[in-house]
Amino acid sequence: MEKQLKSKKRLRLTLRQRDQFKGLFFVSPYIIGMIAFFIYPVCTSFVLSFSDIASIVGFDLKFVGIEHYKYAFIVDNNFVPMFLDVVGNTVLKFPLTIVFALIIAILLNKKIVCRGMFRVIFFIPFLLGAGVVMQQLRIQGVDRAVLSIMDGKIIPYNILNYFGADIVNAVQTVFGIIVQVLWDSGVQILLFLSGLQSISPALYEAAKIDGATEWEIFWKITIPMISPMMLLNLVYTLVTTFVDIDNQMLSYISTYGFGNLEFGYGAALGWIYFAFVGVLIALVFAIMKGYMHTNEVEEVKKRGHKSRRILTIETNKKRRY
Amino acid sequence: MDIRAEESLQLKQTRNEDTKKEEFSKFKFYMKRARQYFTSSSRIKQLIIKLFMYVFLIGLAFVFVYPFIYMIVTSLKSNSDLSNFAVEWIPTELKFENYSVAMTLINYMRYFKNSVLVTVFATLGHVLSCSFIGYGFARFNFPLKKILFFVVILAFIVPIQTMIIPMYLTYVNLGWRNTYLPLIVPCFFGFGLKGGLYVFLFRQFYLTLPRDLENAARIDGCGFLSTYTRIVFPLGQSTMVVATVLSVVWHWNDSYEPGMYIDKAALGFLPPRISYIVSIINSPPEDMFEQMAALGLSDGEDTLNDAVIMASAALICAPVIIFFAFAQRLFMEGIERSGITGE
Repeated sequence: MEKQLKSKKRLRLTLRQRDQFKGLFFVSPYIIGMIAFFIYPVCTSFVLSFSDIASIVGFDLKFVGIEHYKYAFIVDNNFVPMFLDVVGNTVLKFPLTIVFALIIAILLNKKIVCRGMFRVIFFIPFLLGAGVVMQQLRIQGVDRAVLSIMDGKIIPYNILNYFGADIVNAVQTVFGIIVQVLWDSGVQILLFLSGLQSISPALYEAAKIDGATEWEIFWKITIPMISPMMLLNLVYTLVTTFVDIDNQMLSYISTYGFGNLEFGYGAALGWIYFAFVGVLIALVFAIMKGYMHTNEVEEVKKRGHKSRRILTIETNKKRRY
Repeated sequence: MDIRAEESLQLKQTRNEDTKKEEFSKFKFYMKRARQYFTSSSRIKQLIIKLFMYVFLIGLAFVFVYPFIYMIVTSLKSNSDLSNFAVEWIPTELKFENYSVAMTLINYMRYFKNSVLVTVFATLGHVLSCSFIGYGFARFNFPLKKILFFVVILAFIVPIQTMIIPMYLTYVNLGWRNTYLPLIVPCFFGFGLKGGLYVFLFRQFYLTLPRDLENAARIDGCGFLSTYTRIVFPLGQSTMVVATVLSVVWHWNDSYEPGMYIDKAALGFLPPRISYIVSIINSPPEDMFEQMAALGLSDGEDTLNDAVIMASAALICAPVIIFFAFAQRLFMEGIERSGITGE
């Protein structure tokens, strides 16, 4: 009896409802995880940033308002310079990473000798680590030694002397930064590579037949076609630069949270930090949204008209609305 | 006879001359071709571009391999080589003892076991759960789908450092401190280290998968769960490889979260051991000698120097590099095929 009833009940579900049920079933682990490992800690951390802990045992909180935030910006001598330092570092490194990763990915996507070998090589720094190993290498000054111009191997000493120590030092620092950026761009190269692989060769051929130069093809086909990957890459790069192990800011937050046992202040610092990341990522999204390549037909369906700013490739002229 | 012989000789000569002429003209022709080949501007341009490209690529490759080579070379240097500036790439003697010293110092086998345990389980959790969840996001419509997917992105964006304190307190209250559970359990729910990225990857892959296979399975009487386990999950192989490699590398090298939840030395992992060696080197000499003696090593700069640090670094990376060497081909294919492009 029961079985029959059940089957009857199941039959009564419409296709759409069944779809919803299945979807929720598949996503259910994520919902559980979200509540336990995301929403709860985020909310607690947010509350914590506005309060002081009276005792850890019962999680006894005392509400203090925006006291911690005020303290961070007005009283704490270390925070603001460190924050600006990190911000400057990110703003400098982040476009460089994207540009270099894109150049390397395009080169790797060409028909070259030993392609497989090159691909593995460009992935080696990623294997060595976003971790402690790379940090150790940096402490030993490897990133400055790679493209070193100081020892007079690439550029003779006479010329170096002519420029003077300051300029040489500055150039050396720039090289050091470039090397670090290159080492950090393993995943970005991979993401771009997979984006480039998904562009159909027919597009390039058509463009060549129409007499487009390489330069035009790059700007009119490659860039728009990998724009979704570009967005993912931009976000990924921002996130990873911010949680980088070398980041002073993060160790500062942990020392406050755990070393000095000022959980509230640590949480507040974390939130200020995240607010900045969030603003940057929102900015990236806002800028990229207008330049994303989308399927034109879908675009028209969604908005009812074709957006002017979107760099679409008019692939199917017959179907144009 | 004479006349005939003369005639034939003449004939031969003319023939010879003819062939010579022919050959010469052929040679001329080829020369012309070659000259054309090399002087036509587009060829030269292409050649130069290609040459430039290879030089650039090899230069970049050098920059990328440099840390690896540096690590290996330095790890084999003896103390006198380290301070000798003339010895840059080829050590005067290969000192393999550095590796054995590093082995004993970081207590390799014990921490290796710990690291492998957590990495394997966490990766397993990520692949299983993220594939499952990604399929749900890619195929079905359900209420709050957009909001949930926004949370996926958000969970990836919010740095763990922002919410580390409540997480820590939660785990302490659960009694999970000094166990591996805080590192493994979230992975089985699509969270954990960069969990959102894998959900995203799998979703993008399943979006490109045609529905026909699933429909065929359904017609053959396959329920939705067994459709997933028997058809959809195995098809995601290429993405699985990508997710596995990324997850293994990240978990292996991660030291932030483990450092937070685990403070018993016996439960630690490999990467932080390097800072332990550095701390021994930086400690005052008496302490250093004591610690070295406790491990049964002779003291002094000859045994403990930068070369040992690099040797331990190499030992720590080695499992990941070996793993990648095996997975490399599948991984690269997966990257090419997975079509992670958000369409």
